Amino acid sequence: MIELRFLPLRARLTLWYMLVLGAVVALYIAGTAFVLYWQLSHQLSRFAIQDVETVEGLLSFTPDGHLNLNENYHNHPQSRLVLERMVEVLSPSGTVLYRNERLDGRALGGAILPKEGVNGYSERSTLLSDGTRVLLVSRRHILAGRPIIIRLAYNQKPIWSRIEELLTASFIALPVVLAMAGFAGYHLARRSLAPLEEITSRAEQITADNLRQRLPVENPRDEVGHLARVFNSVLDRLEESFERLKRFTSDASHELRTPLSAIRSVGEVGLQKSETPAEYQDTIGSMLEEVNRLTRLVENLLEISRADAGQIRPGLTVFSPLDVVREVGAVLDVLVEEKALQLRLSGDADVTVKGDRLLFRQAVMNVLHNAVKYTPAGGTISVGVTEHLGFGVVHIADTGPGIPREHRGKVFDRFYRIDAARARDTGGAGLGLSIAKWALQVQGGEIKVEDSVEGTAFRIQLPAVSAFQPKMT
Amino acid sequence: MRILVVEDEQKLASALKDGLEADDYTVSVARTGEEGFYLLCKQPFDLAILDVMLPGRDGFEILSTLRQQGLRIPILLLTAKDRIEDRVEGLDYGADDYLVKPFAFPELLARIRALLRRGNPQAAPKARVADLEIDAANHIVTRAGQRIELTAREYDLLEYLFRHQGRVVSREMIARDIWKEVARQTPLDNVIDVHVAHLRRKVDDQFATKLVHTVRGLGFVLREEKKP
Repeated sequence: MIELRFLPLRARLTLWYMLVLGAVVALYIAGTAFVLYWQLSHQLSRFAIQDVETVEGLLSFTPDGHLNLNENYHNHPQSRLVLERMVEVLSPSGTVLYRNERLDGRALGGAILPKEGVNGYSERSTLLSDGTRVLLVSRRHILAGRPIIIRLAYNQKPIWSRIEELLTASFIALPVVLAMAGFAGYHLARRSLAPLEEITSRAEQITADNLRQRLPVENPRDEVGHLARVFNSVLDRLEESFERLKRFTSDASHELRTPLSAIRSVGEVGLQKSETPAEYQDTIGSMLEEVNRLTRLVENLLEISRADAGQIRPGLTVFSPLDVVREVGAVLDVLVEEKALQLRLSGDADVTVKGDRLLFRQAVMNVLHNAVKYTPAGGTISVGVTEHLGFGVVHIADTGPGIPREHRGKVFDRFYRIDAARARDTGGAGLGLSIAKWALQVQGGEIKVEDSVEGTAFRIQLPAVSAFQPKMT
Repeated sequence: MRILVVEDEQKLASALKDGLEADDYTVSVARTGEEGFYLLCKQPFDLAILDVMLPGRDGFEILSTLRQQGLRIPILLLTAKDRIEDRVEGLDYGADDYLVKPFAFPELLARIRALLRRGNPQAAPKARVADLEIDAANHIVTRAGQRIELTAREYDLLEYLFRHQGRVVSREMIARDIWKEVARQTPLDNVIDVHVAHLRRKVDDQFATKLVHTVRGLGFVLREEKKP
């Protein structure tokens, strides 16, 4: 047997339609049959009660003491039922006083039940000795001063045959209705799933080579349109990350090639000339310098790829950013003096933040090192630590050439340099700020370039831990 | 001192052999793990340098087998993997030290010296190179009897050079041992260069014989250059 969940969606949908429709129709038929039965029974019993009153009037004792029912009082009975009524009259002690011809000698209802026919009419359904089901109505009556019990019954068979007719007709029609519904449902399902198939076949054609393609969105408001939009936005992100990967690969190979070609040229030229030992040493030293640059670059790339792979988990502690800023300042102080710069550190020592101290220090180091590198002699670098809206904020501003507005969005990109020629002299590969950026992001922090009148201003922030925060109990 | 180098990369192996022999060690080279294992079992060595990625049996395997057999000599691992887990794994197998490729040769020499002495070399309370003297107990530096005032960082730097006198120290070693900078990406090179320049100004500028030298592409060395 085929398992349901392996069928195509539209077959499953159709099956479900049919199942639900079948159940609803079956319930409807059952309900109709019940209502019909109830109405017919009610009608019959009302008729029976009226008929009991008629029978009361038609009963009389013959002079010899026998009970007689005058059933021949009219030639044109109003109802076929009148002709089919069964009548039995009993004395309170249970003696049968009268049975009409219809009963044909059969007992009607057997022994008298307690309270049968007392205070009005009692109704019940019962079986005759030959198995005929009848509706029985009883009534106590006083005839000529003698108490009697009148039992009147109608055959219930006509009711059941009406119901049977209804059920037969319905259950013959049901499969036809279901087949029609299934057919219509199948086509409806196929029509509503057609856009999905369209999307599927389009999506199958999209590969890494033609990520530019997008799915058509016919109606952006319906479910299929929503799916197509979501799929398109996934494609947007995919295309973007492919682009970034391509750019990263080409940038990285360019950066790796530069020191490699220097090593190669210096080595080749050195070998072709005959030099003194001191000159050879210088040649080799120059090659080693490039090797060191290459080594550092590879290490940075490794760090970045590890960060991308999510392999670096920050160890969160609470620390004072001003302490870190002072530490970094102390390390770089010698460069500051060398270039006759002024480094102004200020801020609130009570500000504490939660983060990875080492990664934070690295970010501050990279940004401050850049500031020292690019600020011309005699300039000023100011670093301030404040707390603002739940963040510990470090402002690093210099009086250097600044970053042109159009470059501000890109300075955190890998290998990005505003002026490639200038940066190469100072030895950067354009990775410092991008490393600073992930080092902060991985611990819930942020770094931004700020608008500034002159020079460059960076804003680094980490979530603050307030010293006045109430202790958790 | 006999050193065994187990390294399959031929260029690196012969460079290591030449470099170590220039530093007065007796060096044997094994090209495969099996050969290295055999030599270490048969011959007495004072130290072994073991590459982790070897054809046949890898460095970790040889290391753990040797340690199980009770070989006690110091073993230095060389590897291109530098994740923390790799380092921990190597040390767990019984390595004494761990160096990530590519490494600076002065650094390898310094590690070997440290391993052979079992512990970091401590400068003698008093040491001298030519007429430069350092009194480590009192933090006093004199040259030709004349007192030289140094900042704390400059003193640390000079003391470090004294500890490795006659040998080249790389910028990486200085960054790690003096600045305690663990991240290898931190751009400290120009900071170190400026400090060395300051130190040189105070120690060498007024004297004819220069003692603090820059070895291009390698690092710095404190020594009295022999006039050719």
